[in-house]
Amino acid sequence: MSDKNKGLSKAQEIYLNRSQRARELKAAGKKIIGYPCVYVPLEMLTALDLVPYQTCGDIKEPVTEADRALPHSFCPIMRNCLDCALKGKNDFLDGMATIHSSDPQEKTARVWESYTNYPYFHFIDMPITVRPEALEYFKSQLNDFRKTLEAFTEKKLSTDKLEAAIKSHNQQRALVRELYELTKPSPPLISGTEIVQVVKALTSLPVVEGNDLLTETISEVKNRTDGPEKKSARLLIWSSTLDDTDIMQVFEAKANVVMNESCGGIRAYRGGVKFTADPLEGLADYYLNEITCARTFRQATLGETRKDYARDLQSRFGYLKGIIKEWKINGAVMLLVRYCDPFAFEMPSLKDYFNSLGVPSTYIEYDYTTGALAPLRTRVEAFLETIS
Amino acid sequence: MYFAGVDIGSTMTKVVLMDNSGNLLSAIKGPTGPEYRQLANEVMRQALEQASLQIDDISYIVATGYGRLNVPFADRQITELSCHARGVSSLFPNVRTAIDIGGQDAKCMKIDNGRLTSFVMNDKCAAGTGRFLEVTAATLGIRLEDMGDISLKATKKIQISNLCTIFAQQEVVALLSRGEKLENILAGLHDALASRIAALARRLGIKPDLVLTGGVAKNTGMVRAMKESLDCEIFVPEEPLLTGALGAAILAKETYMKAVAAGEALPTKSRRLEKATFFS
Repeated sequence: MSDKNKGLSKAQEIYLNRSQRARELKAAGKKIIGYPCVYVPLEMLTALDLVPYQTCGDIKEPVTEADRALPHSFCPIMRNCLDCALKGKNDFLDGMATIHSSDPQEKTARVWESYTNYPYFHFIDMPITVRPEALEYFKSQLNDFRKTLEAFTEKKLSTDKLEAAIKSHNQQRALVRELYELTKPSPPLISGTEIVQVVKALTSLPVVEGNDLLTETISEVKNRTDGPEKKSARLLIWSSTLDDTDIMQVFEAKANVVMNESCGGIRAYRGGVKFTADPLEGLADYYLNEITCARTFRQATLGETRKDYARDLQSRFGYLKGIIKEWKINGAVMLLVRYCDPFAFEMPSLKDYFNSLGVPSTYIEYDYTTGALAPLRTRVEAFLETIS
Repeated sequence: MYFAGVDIGSTMTKVVLMDNSGNLLSAIKGPTGPEYRQLANEVMRQALEQASLQIDDISYIVATGYGRLNVPFADRQITELSCHARGVSSLFPNVRTAIDIGGQDAKCMKIDNGRLTSFVMNDKCAAGTGRFLEVTAATLGIRLEDMGDISLKATKKIQISNLCTIFAQQEVVALLSRGEKLENILAGLHDALASRIAALARRLGIKPDLVLTGGVAKNTGMVRAMKESLDCEIFVPEEPLLTGALGAAILAKETYMKAVAAGEALPTKSRRLEKATFFS
């Protein structure tokens, strides 16, 4: 039996009661800063001894309060996140760091700011292209972020502290990748559902505690004898967000999800921040260029890929090729959250890319409610029947 | 040896029984809900009665449809998409595309050699499903089964601009109050529904032969509208409601025969006819 206070069991416990640690830290005098999206450079919070806490939605929570502030046909995740905030579920936060990672994030940030009363609120205007000018602009935005954080904490964000924070967060990225190495065997040593619990726990903890949790989990998983069973397919899920175990279990009832390419999975943990003379430069480069989210426009930014569809696809989705090979993926699911236009627009091209690699794929839409589970189950099972 | 396919759809429950030569012994339809929703066992009982069989005589049972998960007497669950594909291709060997329009959703299926190869389904929304027609029939005070025939008498095309079931309903009421003829409005409604489903099917890519199934395929006006929207010949089975259950029965037979040929034991469930439950 695994130790209740370590590794997977601990991750599960945190997943089920995500705000507990943040509330404890708050009671101990720490300041907790919420963030809705993985694009917020957490290193800057960590370096100032602020605790980052990702404000997630809850698919079991029917959206009621957010409807007075947001339209109905709108990103269901942001509606849900804001709804939880308006219902006081994040009442321990000292502030919010928001970012223009998508239009719903930007619109919701403004509503969030006007409907809540946190001592600190900051909005980072993040560009959507990877051009050099965009990088410069993003860096200037991070500099503004630095200024408001310094004013709020009444501390200077020193290069030493920022570099130490970058090191810790890079270590977290490396550890999550190490965890994903454990889904390579067949059957995988850890399930997609368990990884969702671990990753969602990480986003509620200070980075050092998260790294300890990862280290324990990796060691536990490497030595476990009660891992997942081998199922009919090894799936890659490509999505904006898949951070809920009920949703993941719809897939894992009949397949092994060995790669979750979403914000609830590996997306924020690929690569690492480079150490540059001005650390903000390394941070800007990492967050703008390295995170592979559909919100960033990558088409035709490289001269040689312009008007060459195959090369364009390769430049946009090439990172998936290695995953498909190394993780022996035999089915890919493009899981769209309803009204998530950036991901919906990528879908036809990505489908072509999967076809070019000979990987069967399907596209399924869901709306981030438990009501989505039954239709989702039929679509997932039908897809698995076509590839088995 | 006998085999059964049980298709529990959102509106209708269907059971097909067949023997090991593929001969159809019975095919029964009954309403699924709401009072009947737990009565899959009753529909099964009727099917057995028609074939003069006992439940113990059935070698293998496959359940499909949205209520497939908890049919206590079914040995295996297969999604309605695979079952429709199999059922349709047994009736139309050259089928490459099948469109099933049921009470709750619309499915477009690509079929190759009798097997489902890919599919698209409509959003979780009544527009583009049989429910759209049910709601409109109720609004207009006409019988669902008469809708198609009335629409064929249309003398001009009315454009229904809104595909949302609720808003389309309001649009219909507004058209009626303007004195527009019922048959013209109905033809417009069928066109609106057909164009929505055609758009869904085009996402998948349409190859002939194309077969239309599900309760909506019994509506002559819809078959006409689908033909116009897709601009191709459309085949409709004699009993378009039964293709899912038929496919389930065929897959039950194939699963069983394959196991017998391989000398494998196939686990089966208790043959007691208990009530089905839904995602309990």
